[in-house]
Amino acid sequence: MTEEPRGALYADGPPARSRAASGPAKPEPSRTGSSKPDSSDSRASGAGSPRAAAEGAEGQEGRSPSRVRPSGLAEAVDAVAGAAAQRRTMLFEGAGTALEWGAPVAEPALVVETSGLDRLISHAPEDWTVGVEAGMPLARLQKLLAPAGQWLPVDPPTADGGATLGGLLAGGDAGPRRLKYGGLADLVIGATLVLPNGTVARTGGDVIKNVAGYDLAKLMSGSLGAFGLVARLNLRVHPLPAATVTVALPVDDAAQALDAARAVMRSPLEPVAVEWDGRELLVRFQGTEESAAARGRLAPEVPGLAGARVLDADAEQAAWRRHLGLLRGEEGETVLRAATHPARLPGLARRLNELTRETGVEARLLSGVAQGLHTAVLRGGDAAGHAECLTAWRETVHQAGGSVTLRRRREGVDDLAAAWGRAPSATPVLRSLKRQFDPDDICAPGRFAPWF
Amino acid sequence: MIDTALRQEFEAALGADAVLTDPLKLRTYECDGLTGFREVPALVVLPRGTEEVAAAVSLCARAGLPFVARGAGTGLSGGAVPVAQGVVISLARMRGIVEFDPDDRRMVLQPGVTNAEISRVAAPHGLYYAPDPSSQVVCTIGGNVAENSGGAHCVKYGFTVHHVTALRVVLPDGTVTELGGDAPESEGPDLRGLFIGSEGTLGIATEITVRLLRTPESVRTLVADFPTAEAAGEAVSAIMASGIVPAAVEMLDSLAIEACEAAVHAGYSLDATAALVVELDGMEHECDEQFEQVVALCRQKGTTNVRIAGTAEERALIWKGRKAAFAAMGRISPDYFVQDGVVPRTRLSEALTRIAAMSRAEGLRVANVFHAGDGNLHPLVLFDGQAGESERAERLAAEIAEMCVELGGSLSGEHGIGLDKACSMPEMFGEEDLAVMDRLRTAFDPDRLANPGKVLPTPRLCGETPGRYRPHPLEAAGMIERL
Repeated sequence: MTEEPRGALYADGPPARSRAASGPAKPEPSRTGSSKPDSSDSRASGAGSPRAAAEGAEGQEGRSPSRVRPSGLAEAVDAVAGAAAQRRTMLFEGAGTALEWGAPVAEPALVVETSGLDRLISHAPEDWTVGVEAGMPLARLQKLLAPAGQWLPVDPPTADGGATLGGLLAGGDAGPRRLKYGGLADLVIGATLVLPNGTVARTGGDVIKNVAGYDLAKLMSGSLGAFGLVARLNLRVHPLPAATVTVALPVDDAAQALDAARAVMRSPLEPVAVEWDGRELLVRFQGTEESAAARGRLAPEVPGLAGARVLDADAEQAAWRRHLGLLRGEEGETVLRAATHPARLPGLARRLNELTRETGVEARLLSGVAQGLHTAVLRGGDAAGHAECLTAWRETVHQAGGSVTLRRRREGVDDLAAAWGRAPSATPVLRSLKRQFDPDDICAPGRFAPWF
Repeated sequence: MIDTALRQEFEAALGADAVLTDPLKLRTYECDGLTGFREVPALVVLPRGTEEVAAAVSLCARAGLPFVARGAGTGLSGGAVPVAQGVVISLARMRGIVEFDPDDRRMVLQPGVTNAEISRVAAPHGLYYAPDPSSQVVCTIGGNVAENSGGAHCVKYGFTVHHVTALRVVLPDGTVTELGGDAPESEGPDLRGLFIGSEGTLGIATEITVRLLRTPESVRTLVADFPTAEAAGEAVSAIMASGIVPAAVEMLDSLAIEACEAAVHAGYSLDATAALVVELDGMEHECDEQFEQVVALCRQKGTTNVRIAGTAEERALIWKGRKAAFAAMGRISPDYFVQDGVVPRTRLSEALTRIAAMSRAEGLRVANVFHAGDGNLHPLVLFDGQAGESERAERLAAEIAEMCVELGGSLSGEHGIGLDKACSMPEMFGEEDLAVMDRLRTAFDPDRLANPGKVLPTPRLCGETPGRYRPHPLEAAGMIERL
């Protein structure tokens, strides 16, 4: 798996904005050796070890964190264990597409880059399984699987930015087709983790069905790097659908979008994604060439979808690219991800509208309507307006029984608003887990402040 | 020990009729579906709601009493076996459907609702609950959550964890907390996912939100007979490689067919060495198209007979035969163990060949009926306890599970580790892996009161310290030794 040059990840992505927010300009990653070891289990040692590299860069106490870029599991363990021994704080970084999620992390002493942990370990097409190092970008994995007629069925907005599998698991993110396939954690069948003290822990296995032991990958899902490093993943892959078809319908009313989504979910058409961007409802179907086409033909007969038009292949691609772009947001915008009962959408949309009037902020609400996963994008106005809008809307979501994660913020918002809202009832358990897995609080410190 | 004062506290919190102390009644709780392990509890309580569960658990926590949650007791890994001098918290009275929202396809349930009941209530709205363990008519959703239960249709639809979005949970200290939420994503680490499949060791789920699926427009089912298990295995591989995701692919060998036919008369061919049950579901158009492909693939791989279910009744009968397989073993053997292990699908025929050899070596018959689509084996070890064959049977069953791990699979695909396989965990996980799992358990239950002795090996149960995953190289070389 050496066909892609190292560093390609950074040559054309991630977008500059996410890097700018992560701190000072990134120094050249410290290389740990000119060639990859044949087996990542072979323990690298001596001057080439990442620990040595990290220590060498130790200007410490100062501003810029030292960076280490382990190649293989053994080097990752060395890097983490070395930092832990000195109680240095650390941050795990894949493509950097989700570094802003949650509360800001206090400047870490060490950044562990996972871009050197990017090998394909195994692919058993007939078993529907693949094993990868977790720094592998999703987009590259898809390219590797495609010749076997397979893919990992997740389509997160950050894939274009080079998002890695480990990062995607830590973010708990998924794209529109979560409706059919679930999120990345639902496709993880096994994982190798490096805990903050350097302990290597395996969970799950290599087979698509397995209930032996606790599923530690779930603890990593949504953990935003606060519990340890995801070093390797075993994943269940699926056959690539032969064809997809998307229909689009102009809808600017949340209640109408909800009704249409319910109707298409009641129909026999089995949509794989139902997304609303505030102006248009996109419904995606897939199947064999014939059955996908049939679904597109039948869609306008679904009550609520009358007038929906089938997009041609180019328009379909463009529509989804645009939608994922909106979900990602842009520099200067504040992006909130909310999860509620799907029926709450109209109320949340109404409230967001009110708040925009009160705060002078422009807002757009996007929603995976059939699942109750909403993304609010705030732009314009000033930081105070964003902060006010964020705090008030989050309160509404909480009152509706939902949860909110802050994914992006306009500069200055952090000084005016807390990154997290009211603590969930499970906070004592989260604290207890943090004590067990990271007692010195060295992993992504502050990420979940003030909860833990 | 539970003294009179403590018993009275349980009675005060739950009502006298919800506390069982009569030795005869206690005895009915001494085991679950794996009857080889038995232990009579000191007390059984039957709470009616979350508050009562919390009250019972709080009392246990205060008194340092171990407790075991129990649904219908159908588990096959000894996960609900009581702890000596401990309390059993039966969820049998918590059978309410708290909320049903057909518009957004979800239901909130108390843990004692049976799996089949969910789909029965949802059916008039064109909805159903996908996970369908063979015991679905009696097993409960609470038990399904504890075991992350699967069933015949997981190869397409996944397990319990894919269909439960939220849990209300009583933690081992008696506090009540919510895990997950109304949507499939939530803030922070996925504690919901962590809890599901934890076999009652992290707490007790008292309210469960499930998502429902639309009943497929079309379902097509066939039974294909094959002259050899290998040929049937090849047909499975061909189907899975074709780009089709079947709803179910089940295999039965001749011994399993014989037992099912004796019990249910489902119309399986008694002269087939192996039979495949293949089901497709989905939009009619697509289902028909792919079903033809499946039939062609079976023919290509040498099927001797394909029987297609022509009616819903006929399909139901095929499934009745398949799902009755375990119980049907009683027709051909006085006793049997159900084993549960997983191998990579590509190694199915190798696994079957080895099971046959092990069966011959031990002189005991093994019937195979299993989820071929995901490599989840269910070998049934037949024996006669009165003829003193129990120990050999137990040994054979354990050897089969460990062979699964050796072939790159798992100790359990859906029945759980429980008490039965806790001591086999070191076959699959290293010492560090298990130590980390133990830390996770500590985070939820520092005093080890929730279902102690299950899932993770303990010195008391397994003798000495848990065995190592592999001997240290220096140890193997004779340079160091363990103390």
